[in-house]
Amino acid sequence: MKYLFIVAVLLMFSSCVAVKEYEKVYINAEDMALSARGICKADISSHIYREGAAGANGGKMGGGCGCN
Amino acid sequence: MKQILSPILFLAIGIQILWSQEQPASYTKKVLEKVAVQTLFSYYTQDGNNAAVTGGEGTEALTDAAPTIVVQMPIGSDGILTVDTGLSAYTSASSSNVNPLDGNEPASPWVASSGPSRSDVLAHFNPSYAHFSADRNTIYNASLAVSKEYDYQSFGFGAGVSKLYNEKNTEVGLNVQVYLDQHDPQYPIELRTGFFNGNIRGEGTYTNDFAAFSQAKRNTYALSFNVAQILTAKMQASLFIDAVMQEGLLSSPLQRVYFADKPDFFIDDFQLADNVERLPFYRYKYPVGARLNYYISDAIILRSYARYYNDSWGVSGLTAEIELPISLGLNWALFPSFRHYSQSAADYFYPKEMATSSAQYYTSDFDLASFTSQQWGFGVRYKDLLSQFSLWKIGLKSIELRYIHYNRSNGLQFDQTALGVNFEID
Repeated sequence: MKYLFIVAVLLMFSSCVAVKEYEKVYINAEDMALSARGICKADISSHIYREGAAGANGGKMGGGCGCN
Repeated sequence: MKQILSPILFLAIGIQILWSQEQPASYTKKVLEKVAVQTLFSYYTQDGNNAAVTGGEGTEALTDAAPTIVVQMPIGSDGILTVDTGLSAYTSASSSNVNPLDGNEPASPWVASSGPSRSDVLAHFNPSYAHFSADRNTIYNASLAVSKEYDYQSFGFGAGVSKLYNEKNTEVGLNVQVYLDQHDPQYPIELRTGFFNGNIRGEGTYTNDFAAFSQAKRNTYALSFNVAQILTAKMQASLFIDAVMQEGLLSSPLQRVYFADKPDFFIDDFQLADNVERLPFYRYKYPVGARLNYYISDAIILRSYARYYNDSWGVSGLTAEIELPISLGLNWALFPSFRHYSQSAADYFYPKEMATSSAQYYTSDFDLASFTSQQWGFGVRYKDLLSQFSLWKIGLKSIELRYIHYNRSNGLQFDQTALGVNFEID
């Protein structure tokens, strides 16, 4: 499953062309950013405590006991 | 505070001096024009019936209030210094039952005790610095992370580099983070040296298999690789691959375990522990995540995220999340969202009274059980494009309110409300 996931994403990347700066008006929209939105930081923190899985989302990978 | 800030300021100034000597004197647009301030306040309430502190059965009622402030400051024309600091003040019924005997009510895993372990405050302070090359195609970053709560403290540091290629259509990044953490183990009251109570019920005399942990350190080493790609004028995607190693005390010393092959003893309705959870010294985690964002129209954007996770404890998990920002004119936007998550149980997970005392590792923490969860969310944001709301040199950029409801298949649920306000300072 993991390898299928990686291959699918890499195939997706392989078919792209360069978008010029003046064509990036949509890409540069605030909500198009490829990171969790600032207000979702609280969600990510809660998921780290309440779920076994963590990481690969720009959140912390350590530095807390997660015990409460 | 001064000791923490000094190294990162020194690093920021050092990189800035070195960089300025390499660049010809010409005007370059600053990477950040103004000081940006993001404040976030979240309020979290949780309930469930599988508290780990009481061995997998007991109230999980918990509330948490967490104010955070993130300040981004331009350093010269090429640098950004970010300081993220905040508190997380929680009240937990299960934590209160580290000592269920210090309240006025009869001891019970379903009732919060009123002792000092009922609440705590976690404080964090994370400064970081990012430096951009003159052509903005290379970004170096360095960070520190310090946090402290009553029985746990953490010191972390990290560094990374990102490179942009292909007319800034492709970005590749590599980051390394290290956390050096220290427990101050707080064991359940009945397992502490010298514990005596005349009201213990059960057959025979209460004994347990407990021995204090010889190790109180926990180190985490994380390597993160990411690649982002613009696919079309309206679509972009990114891939995140992390590899994480943790070593040290990975068990939570306050989480009880009840064995199937040991007799049961009680004080009031509260069952006394046979031991605390025991988990391996090492844990290796391998999460892989991807985002795909598509600008459907001026009115709606698709934001999606998926992750596959597995680790050396036998936990594997799948996450899928979708958010649809809906624009209502220039100022207002709505943010409906849905998230699905599923995970398999850790090899060492046992519900209450299912582990045997001969096992090497065991836990009754339902966060490591097999379950699925769904989360619904809704947010509303107001953007003050013309900074109509300003006071002195402080101008409002945006204000957003977000609510989520999370439901886990084993009964735990939480609600979280977050308020974020972003400002700019001239």
